[in-house]
Order: sequence, then C-alpha cells, then structure tokens
Amino acid sequence: MLRTLSLLLPALIPSWRFFKTVAPSPRLWWRLEGGDWAPVRPRPERVAFATMLRRLVWNPDWNEDLYLVTLSERLVETGSAHSLHELNTRIARITGAPPGARLQFRLTFVTRSGATILTEELYRSDPVEVPG
Amino acid sequence: MSFDLALRLTEILLALALLQHSAEHMTRPEDRRLFAPRIALALLMLAGIATAWVTWALWGIGLLILRRFDGPYNGGSDKMTLLVLTCLACAHLPLDIYWRELALAYLAVQLALSYFVSGWIKVINPDWRSGIALSDVFRFSAYPVSVRLRRIADWRGATFAASWAVMGLELAFPLAVLHPLALAVALLACAVFHLSNACFFGLNRFVWAWFSAFPALLWLQARVV
Repeated sequence: MLRTLSLLLPALIPSWRFFKTVAPSPRLWWRLEGGDWAPVRPRPERVAFATMLRRLVWNPDWNEDLYLVTLSERLVETGSAHSLHELNTRIARITGAPPGARLQFRLTFVTRSGATILTEELYRSDPVEVPG
Repeated sequence: MSFDLALRLTEILLALALLQHSAEHMTRPEDRRLFAPRIALALLMLAGIATAWVTWALWGIGLLILRRFDGPYNGGSDKMTLLVLTCLACAHLPLDIYWRELALAYLAVQLALSYFVSGWIKVINPDWRSGIALSDVFRFSAYPVSVRLRRIADWRGATFAASWAVMGLELAFPLAVLHPLALAVALLACAVFHLSNACFFGLNRFVWAWFSAFPALLWLQARVV
C-alpha cells in the first residue's frame, strides 16, 4: 500500500522538471556468454517523415526502448531487482536469444565532460539462462 | 465552455489517449491481462457509458499498471495520464459542484505548471540558455529517433534558437490564460511543440496525454477570466 502511494504521489503532485539537465545516457548491449557485444535494438540511420507521422499513433518498440532506458537508470541508481528481471526478460525477447543459451547484458553511459564525449561501463549482468 | 462540456471533451480525449497507449502494450503477451480490460473501459468512456464508474475503474487499473512496471512505463506521459484520470474521477464524485469544479481546475493549473516549471528550470541553467543542453540532447541522449538526427547537435544556431523558442513558449504560457485568443494560440503552439517532440524524439504518448488536459484549461479560462 505504501509502495503504491509512493508511486502515485509523483503523478498527483508532479514536479514537471523535464530536462533539468541532460543526464548521462544509457546504452544497452547484449551477448550470449563468451560472444561479442551487440547493441540491443540499434537505432536506424534515418527515419522517413511518413514513418514519424505513423509513429504518432503506433510506436510500441520505441516506447519499450524508452522503458529500457528507465530500467537501466533504476538498476544503476538503486540496484532494483525488478529492473534486472525486466531487462533480462525483455532483452531475451527482443534479441531472439535461443532458449537454454546464457544471456548477458551490460550498460554503458554516455556523457559530456567539457568538449569530450565520455562512455563508461556502469553495470554488467551475470549471465542467465534464457527460459524455454 | 461549460463544465459538463469540458468534462465530456476530457473524457473523449483521455479515452483516445488510453486506447493509443494500451494498444501498444497488446503486442506484449505478458501485458495483455492489464491492458485488455483497460481498452474495454476506455471504449465505454469514449461512448459516454457509465463514465463515473468507468473512470474509477480505469484509475484502479492505473494503480495496478504503476505496480506492474514499478513506476511509470513512459515517464511524464504516464504521470499526466494518471493525473487527468484522477481529476476526472474526482470531478465525477457525487459532491457539491464547487468540489467537482475544483478537481478540474486543479488539472488546468497543473497543465499550466507543466509548461512554466519546465521552462523555468531550463532558463536558470546556463547550458540551456546557450543552446548547449539541446545540442547534448541531440548528440548523446537516448531520444533522437535516428542516427542522422544526431547531426543537428552541430547546428549551433538552430539549437540556440530552438532552446529560446521552447523556453519562451513555456515561460509565457501562464500569461496566455489572460485572454481566450492568446490561450488558443498558446495551445496551438504547444500542440506543434508536442508533435515535434514526437517526430524527433519518439515521444508520441505525450501528445495524446497532454491534449487530454487542454479542455480543462479552456474551461477554467472561460470560468475565471
């Protein structure tokens, strides 16, 4: 009950502090144990304007990507078990990792320091077996 | 705009927002148990059937969704959707009209604050005033929908002008409440702003969530000013 209330209150009394600062931005990578790292759902080189318009009403994959960003931030900030479970489950589905394989992911964060763009790994998961 | 009309318009726009959000979740089998009933209830709300009960049922599902994702699935848009739903539910309570109007007025005030506060926290940040922050959004944030859009980070004149256009709109928004025509123009400009965010950053859910709060402010403006 208290947990629900703590989740509800920011919606009823919002802070509306969008983009107060441009925070370090997570990138999500995956591999099957021992393999090469690859980005989870890499973004396209370009998106046609017609596609942008269509996505006004239908954009499930992108919105899931934004949820993955939120989960990544929660995992690094609080070590949330919920976020870890969600990331493992969703990455397995998105990448089509075969059942029984051992899946691992890592989080790198991109930020700017002066004129330099920095990338730092802040989390690497233990490999987990993809359920059948 | 009358209170009843504002309420009905809010219901229609919110129902459309909920349908849009929920339909996207139906592609994930594990989410269907929560979002299929939400779609059914949103259709009832759209049709204007038993809207008081339907709104409270949708509010209950909103809480379950918060628990399911351990917070908002889609940040600000989920928060705004839940805020609209809560205010609408309170406006349907069998109370004196004063309290029902207060619920819708709270939504209107929060809508105005959503722009003003967002503009204020930007304008006090030197990186936003110089355009660097918006360049950073394009350069390395998770939001640009394509690799090519990241090149906009190097268009310093454009990011500087766009930063001030956004901050100017957000900070001046409360003043628009003083005149019906100014409010109409401001809401139109905000609609363009949300549509741009949807195109550049894929924030499509924000469009429908924020649109659903517009009638409350149009009503409050007519009621008070």
